[in-house]
Amino acid sequence: MIQFDQVTKRYPGGNEALKNLSFAIDSGEMVFLAGHSGAGKSTLLKLIAGIERATSGGVLVNGQNLSKLRPSQLPYVRQHIGLVFQDHKILFDRPVFDNVMLPLNIIGFDRRDAAKRVRAALDKVGLLGKEKAMPIHLSGGEQQRLCIARAVVHRPSILLADEPSANLDRAYALDIMELFKSFHQVGVTVVISAHDETLMEDYGRRIIRLREGQFAA
Amino acid sequence: MKHFLYLHLLSARQALVKILRQPFGSLLSLLMLSVALALPLALYLGVESTQAWVGKLTATPQISLFMELSAEDADLAAVKSSLAGNPKVKSVSFVSKAEALAGLEKRNGLDGLAADLDSNPLPDAFVVTPVTLEPGELDMLQKELSGLPMVESAQFDASWAKRLYGMVELVRHLTLFLGAALGLALVLVTHNTIRMQILAHRDEIEVSKLIGASDNFIRRPFLYHALWQGILAGLIAWGLTSWLVATANPAVREFAQLYNERLELRTLTAFELLAMLAATGVLAMLGARLAANHHLRQIEPH
Repeated sequence: MIQFDQVTKRYPGGNEALKNLSFAIDSGEMVFLAGHSGAGKSTLLKLIAGIERATSGGVLVNGQNLSKLRPSQLPYVRQHIGLVFQDHKILFDRPVFDNVMLPLNIIGFDRRDAAKRVRAALDKVGLLGKEKAMPIHLSGGEQQRLCIARAVVHRPSILLADEPSANLDRAYALDIMELFKSFHQVGVTVVISAHDETLMEDYGRRIIRLREGQFAA
Repeated sequence: MKHFLYLHLLSARQALVKILRQPFGSLLSLLMLSVALALPLALYLGVESTQAWVGKLTATPQISLFMELSAEDADLAAVKSSLAGNPKVKSVSFVSKAEALAGLEKRNGLDGLAADLDSNPLPDAFVVTPVTLEPGELDMLQKELSGLPMVESAQFDASWAKRLYGMVELVRHLTLFLGAALGLALVLVTHNTIRMQILAHRDEIEVSKLIGASDNFIRRPFLYHALWQGILAGLIAWGLTSWLVATANPAVREFAQLYNERLELRTLTAFELLAMLAATGVLAMLGARLAANHHLRQIEPH
């Protein structure tokens, strides 16, 4: 479960990305986050993942108040969250398999079980045949799938995706959305941000609309 | 706990493999460190080897008291009783001129020398072992003894050894200073190596942080890299100095032979080797830790 309690995020320089925001996302819910770029979507996701810290207010994730944790404890919160980045953040110096292995190395997964997990995740996103390929040879859609495989390989309870369908054509974007839906169906809390609302409306899920750091009317 | 050890083992192995696999770049910095370490190490061995020998020489300083050739038995008795009553004198042995001549004949194979001489040219002598080992007091005692009646001269046998001892002390201080300076160099060089590595792995570090890697996790491979680098540099330095000692020893032995002494450079004992490897390892890790702390702070997220 994710809960925001009067959260304000002000960046150095005075820019207020989020203004006094309160809401809750239930465990196992699938929620869309809508708004133009600069509306605060990315900041909101970063606060959930503990990448950024709230200037004021409380951010509760899985019962832990991130505002009260020491910085050194935040990485362990992130280990229970899967992150899909708009710019993928794939490591181009190693093959697909090793990219997906990274989260398992970080949580210290047993190596033999880890290989099975990696192949399962790659199978899920349809990249099983490309585990030895270098990411540079993948298409944009495949790179996004690789990023998703890396986000789910350690079976997080929360999956956050920042503009996962940006830069993809509509057919590919729908594929990706179906993928997220399948994770939601097995009980994962899924939060997806996008600036294109037409994709979200087909799914009939809750949509949190942001404008300039506040709920849009 | 088992998991914790497993992670460490993994990091240590990966770091070693990485060092061994990129031989050229790491070889250069390794060699640089090794040569830098070999210098104080060689000095240390030189000092340790000669110090033991010089220490043995000066540990029993003796003052030889040569009597005038015209000294009579009564004079000898007077000096003897004076020495016996001196609290600064530990023991005295008397070498008569006849004994000295006999000794000379025997040592140098000059049988019949005494027969050819009209009179014995050698003086009677007392060999005095003083109580003190302190150089200043030894000098005082030497002056005091040379002032005794009918004493020709009082020679302090170990005075040259004392000067040598002083020189070795000087070199020992130099070794300490060099050791400290190059220990610092080890820290700085490792700092630089690790800094370059962190910058080269910037993307990996950023992504790892984003998906939940703790600072310890990110630091670990760099610390192990530094540890191996320190240990390998220490080992190579040890190899270099061992080679130096092996090649220099025949010359050292020959040189010592000229003075009728036995002197050899020694290599490190097992304990010294372990202590040195521990020291280089720890210093290298210190450099890596400083670099990691500084540069990891600059990579988002914090």
